[in-house]
Amino acid sequence: MTARFFRDSNKTEPRASARADIRGGMATRVNQRPCITPGHFPVLHAACSDTHNAHDPERPRGLKPAARNAEAGNALGLFQRAAGTLSICSCAILFAAASASLAQQPPSGATDATDILVLKAATLYVGDGRRIEDGMIVIRDGLIVDVGAAMATPAGARVIEIEDGSITPGLIDANAAVESEDLVAPLPRGPRAVLHGLFHPGHSEDASPGCCGSSCPRAIRHVEGTKCSACGFPDAQPSGLAVGTRMSVSTAEASSEVIPEMRVIDSVNLRSRDFDRLLRGGVTTVYTSPSSAAVIGAQGAIVRTGGAFGDRIVRETYAVKAAMGVDPSRRGRGNSMPSRRSVTFHTRRPGTRMGVAWVFRKALHDTKRGLAGLEVYGADAPGEASREVLARVLAGEVPLRIQARAQHDILAAIRLTEEFGLSFTLEEGTDAYRCIDELKAAGTPVVFGPIYVTPVGWRGLSGEVRNARVHTLRALIDAGIETALSAQELRDEDGLARQAMYAIRFGVSLDDALAAVTVVPARLLGIDDVVGTLEVGKRADLVMWSGEPFDAVSAPRVVLIGGEVVVDTRDG
Amino acid sequence: MVEVARANEKRVGASRAPLSRKMVNNVKALGIRVLLVVCAAAFASVEAIAAPPTKLALQGGRIIPIVGDEIAKGTILFENGRITAIGTDVDIPYDAMVVDVSGKVVFPGMIDPHSARGLDVANESLPVTPFLDVYDSLDPSRLYFEDALRDGVTGVHVIVANNCVIGSLSRVVHPIGLTPDEMTIEPAVALKLSVAPKRGFDRMMQMATLRETFLELADYLERRAEEKYEESLEKTDKKIDIGPVEAAKRGRPLLRDSDYDDKHLNLVRLNRGDLGAFVYCEKAADVGRAVRIATTNGFIHRTTFVLGSECYKAASELKATGRPVVLAANLWHRERDPITGKLRETFVPSVFAKAGIAFSLQPSPDTSLAERYLNYQAARCVRNGVSRGTALESITINPARALGLAGRLGSLEVGKTANVVVFSGDPLEFDTWVDLVYINGIRAYDRTTDVRLKRLFGEETPETAE
Repeated sequence: MTARFFRDSNKTEPRASARADIRGGMATRVNQRPCITPGHFPVLHAACSDTHNAHDPERPRGLKPAARNAEAGNALGLFQRAAGTLSICSCAILFAAASASLAQQPPSGATDATDILVLKAATLYVGDGRRIEDGMIVIRDGLIVDVGAAMATPAGARVIEIEDGSITPGLIDANAAVESEDLVAPLPRGPRAVLHGLFHPGHSEDASPGCCGSSCPRAIRHVEGTKCSACGFPDAQPSGLAVGTRMSVSTAEASSEVIPEMRVIDSVNLRSRDFDRLLRGGVTTVYTSPSSAAVIGAQGAIVRTGGAFGDRIVRETYAVKAAMGVDPSRRGRGNSMPSRRSVTFHTRRPGTRMGVAWVFRKALHDTKRGLAGLEVYGADAPGEASREVLARVLAGEVPLRIQARAQHDILAAIRLTEEFGLSFTLEEGTDAYRCIDELKAAGTPVVFGPIYVTPVGWRGLSGEVRNARVHTLRALIDAGIETALSAQELRDEDGLARQAMYAIRFGVSLDDALAAVTVVPARLLGIDDVVGTLEVGKRADLVMWSGEPFDAVSAPRVVLIGGEVVVDTRDG
Repeated sequence: MVEVARANEKRVGASRAPLSRKMVNNVKALGIRVLLVVCAAAFASVEAIAAPPTKLALQGGRIIPIVGDEIAKGTILFENGRITAIGTDVDIPYDAMVVDVSGKVVFPGMIDPHSARGLDVANESLPVTPFLDVYDSLDPSRLYFEDALRDGVTGVHVIVANNCVIGSLSRVVHPIGLTPDEMTIEPAVALKLSVAPKRGFDRMMQMATLRETFLELADYLERRAEEKYEESLEKTDKKIDIGPVEAAKRGRPLLRDSDYDDKHLNLVRLNRGDLGAFVYCEKAADVGRAVRIATTNGFIHRTTFVLGSECYKAASELKATGRPVVLAANLWHRERDPITGKLRETFVPSVFAKAGIAFSLQPSPDTSLAERYLNYQAARCVRNGVSRGTALESITINPARALGLAGRLGSLEVGKTANVVVFSGDPLEFDTWVDLVYINGIRAYDRTTDVRLKRLFGEETPETAE
């Protein structure tokens, strides 16, 4: 299984952490682990966090425990400066040694009770099906150190309580399309909208008459009364969902069909407001997926949506994304079908599903030839760099993701991977309800979603989603297929929390829906030892809801990442 | 149903004229009467076959009447399309059909306060079209109506979209029926006006066109009154002996609706306050202009403001008018500071709820799987701090009031039309489904027989199989 391959290969130690080198205010990420500070040496923690805070002006407002520490006095400040000059090595050793004993430390240490954060709510959803009524979570140094029914609050600890509310693990989107600009948010009508050329300037906000959904892939204002060929406006869809599909601009690399050597992380703008939006929706970790513009696309990254800046990247590269169906032949900036007259380099793109499958097959075939020391030939042979990554895919070291919507594309993905003895994770899987047996036999996990019926936008144009059904997630879960739910590019009313809400409407239990956006994606991404449930030792990435999670009348009120409050909308 | 009955009457009347022409002298009025009785009997028997039970009781459900207190377990009785009793101890007539709805929620049919989706074309290309009626464009076969019914909407205000200066006459319909007549709840409800620019216009042109229309109307009325006075003199063979101003003054009381041409009649009715006005404002700055136009032309007391999301900034101006508003389906207003890029988000209904302005919500069936449900829109309001009562009113009684139909629709009260939704659970829960819809006391929707919905759940029936 993909997840297992991954864990065996490039897993790092879960709780051995170090972060240092903050000279000159530059926060350099040394390790992708959370910033963990031993209880007896809280000064460096303050130093780390403060430095990040100071250089993170856009960070959502919230309580900053570390900042409060810094106010303790000048002596502390001196310590901070001293700590800041410590070398990377000594820091790392110190931290590793200290954190080993962390889990055993009692949370009510007399010296640093102020470092303890206590969260209380009517219900805790652990994430694995367990619920704790009148629960309490004790957080220290960014980790959950105690979970249970209401206990005595440690003296001096800071308490955040949401009466009638609930706490869940932070949501994880295992297939998010994150943009370097927050394109979902309205852009003012004018230069920026024109600049992008692909997007509406956010119609619903300015309520411009006659404009279609903000998701229309055309930058046209629709003529009222005429049906938009791109998004179908204004026809009402039968019980349908008009999924707004933004074309991915930052990850749709169109220079070749086989680009596994490229890395989405190089395109990810960690300061993108898209992350803020995800954060406010309760999403704390995302796998930023490449676009489906290439047959074998780039490698995605796992990042946190907020928290200390230097701590945001969980994994620079994770999986290679391939795509079946029409996307690789049609999608992407400047990737439209070539006109008959002008022959450009785009003309070499596959034009049919046969072509897509062939490009996939040839790339892996050439990789195998290369590994066997045979000559790789043909103008379309993947380059050395591509083959290197594909060799790791073949060896099972790098997980493979395949996006497929229509039934025959899903079956093609299963067929092609069987040919090369690969396992893969299915993305989107619109028609997965028609391939339950095949997916089960192949042991393929699914990152399903978003949930839609008759989408407009790109998906509508692809012609692959005419048979979308609302019970697909339930069918996958009932069949015992490991299935995560993803909102991809959707936010807010269609974001991940609302996708889970849809899932519940369409027959998935609350516990299954919660698992599909927390522990299952964590498992699929190989980070379930760090996040995904409310358990002792896990990172304190969690969401406090005003009511039952995913309820129509409840919303995330407080979001914590690494024990730090990054969103707090309790006062409106 | 009333409309259908009226159409039947017309048909009966029409059959009478040719027959009477054929009548020979010895067949007198008696014969005609006999014929008519036969005709009426024929119609009556058709009605009797097609007629659903006239008395129906929904028993055991939780009743949320909107006006009045919630009843935890009660009965609601319909007779001849009207609600005749609600309560815990309702005497159910022996001949009433009884439907057990225990564990379910009985709720007034929701009302979509503003929708062009039932039309085949949302707007005309002409800017000023008060002489048009959506009746002529209303397409009962639009899937929108089927969806509206499925989503628990029993009243749709069909009105042209915002891309106009003065649009057409609107109409309130229920989302079921084969012809516009059959669907109609209330014809000629309101005229659509927009102070936001129509495509190709700027705001100056938009306002100039509006003002010009009403100035031209005043001119026309003057001229018509003068002509009317002259006509009245002609009958008495008198010659006109006064100036045009005096003639117009004397002629004005003589004018009847039949004296106006189609182009002006609805504007006259608007000025008189016989018609409602739905005035679209896109931005906060439009609100003042809209209020001025409505005030100077005498229809402010019949105006409903249809607002773009930014108009929340003009809440105090709107409050001063005391008129209801219809909010944009996207309930958030988001704007960025152009310099810092900082995003400011405002949940619009909260602003209006705090200001004490009666607002109605619109669904957004084209863009979201959730916002398409009016009850979900209300749930969003509750999520963002609006009280439950206000949120529920904004999808039921508030739109009814804005449409001037609060005496018939919008709540479960004795005497009102029996337009009722039976939810499987609380209307603000998202896993709640619309189980049954009653329109005029007749079952119009039943989820257990909704084949299109079943198909979405993977249950292929012969009707929906490809």
